[in-house]
Amino acid sequence: MRHEILILILGMTLVTFLPRFFPMAFLTRWTLPERVKKGLEYFPISILSAIVFPILFFNGEGRMEIQSHYLLSAIPVFLFAWKVKSLWGSVILGMAIYWGLGFVF
Amino acid sequence: MDNHQFKAGAKAALPIVLGYLPVGMAFGVLARNAGLTTWEAGSMSLLIYAGASQFIAVEMISKGMVWFPIVLTTFFINLRHLLMSSTLSLYFNGNRIQTLGLLSAQLTDESFAVAMSNTSKIENRPGYLFGLQITSHIAWITGSVGGALFGGLIDHKSYGIPFALPALFICLLLLQIRKVHHFYIMVVAGIFSLFFKWALPGNWYIILTAFLASGVGIYISSKLKVEGIG
Repeated sequence: MRHEILILILGMTLVTFLPRFFPMAFLTRWTLPERVKKGLEYFPISILSAIVFPILFFNGEGRMEIQSHYLLSAIPVFLFAWKVKSLWGSVILGMAIYWGLGFVF
Repeated sequence: MDNHQFKAGAKAALPIVLGYLPVGMAFGVLARNAGLTTWEAGSMSLLIYAGASQFIAVEMISKGMVWFPIVLTTFFINLRHLLMSSTLSLYFNGNRIQTLGLLSAQLTDESFAVAMSNTSKIENRPGYLFGLQITSHIAWITGSVGGALFGGLIDHKSYGIPFALPALFICLLLLQIRKVHHFYIMVVAGIFSLFFKWALPGNWYIILTAFLASGVGIYISSKLKVEGIG
């Protein structure tokens, strides 16, 4: 492997590992106050919302622009996931609708 | 490590596998196009294992950038895992440091979200989380190496592949919504994330949204308690 790429990969590995590791390593040694625990309870919803919504309204270059194929595929997946709560079903349904939309426009 | 838990975790990873294989392939193709070897692309997926930053690294390599700015960018992109790791820490109190190191090295947005969809399954069950994560990781490596080797064979923009991970995230988000106030937190977080993504560079919008929307969540739930409907 080329020297420069090796440094790059090891550097990326290190800076990715540390934020993944530190909270797990240290917070599991302490008892967290109730208020902090309460706050952590809402992190998953908040993080997932922050991942999902921008996908629908921003293009690949990070500019705001309604992503009509994504949005039109997302609405039925929202409803399906809400009613059926199936990960597999949601992924397959979403892919099928998105693929189908490609033929429509 | 408990074999039964491991298998259950591996099974829970299958929807992630469906998303990681094609996206990994896309990464392999782009890495080859940027001048990396199959071996280098595979090593990135094995060691770094962080999708967004791997794509951005490849993009920066193809523009001729050197390692330092790429590593710095990677650091900021993956800083969001601090929040996920903090949340997971609640369920692994007192586990050995080696176990925690292994589990945290394979933490991704997707495996975190699947783990959070039923926390009773992960509480003090490192075997379950490990099964979930190693299965996802193997899919990511397999996809990357496959894409680097046989890149041209499948059009990774077809068959609805670009929507596989968004659909996964949408379902995982809805699995988190168990009470009325969770729905409000989703709406608030959605608005915050759109605003911050529009206003700020990079992916600070995820970190800021996580803190602010969680704060709003604490506020709403305390209000509901006062009124006796929480």
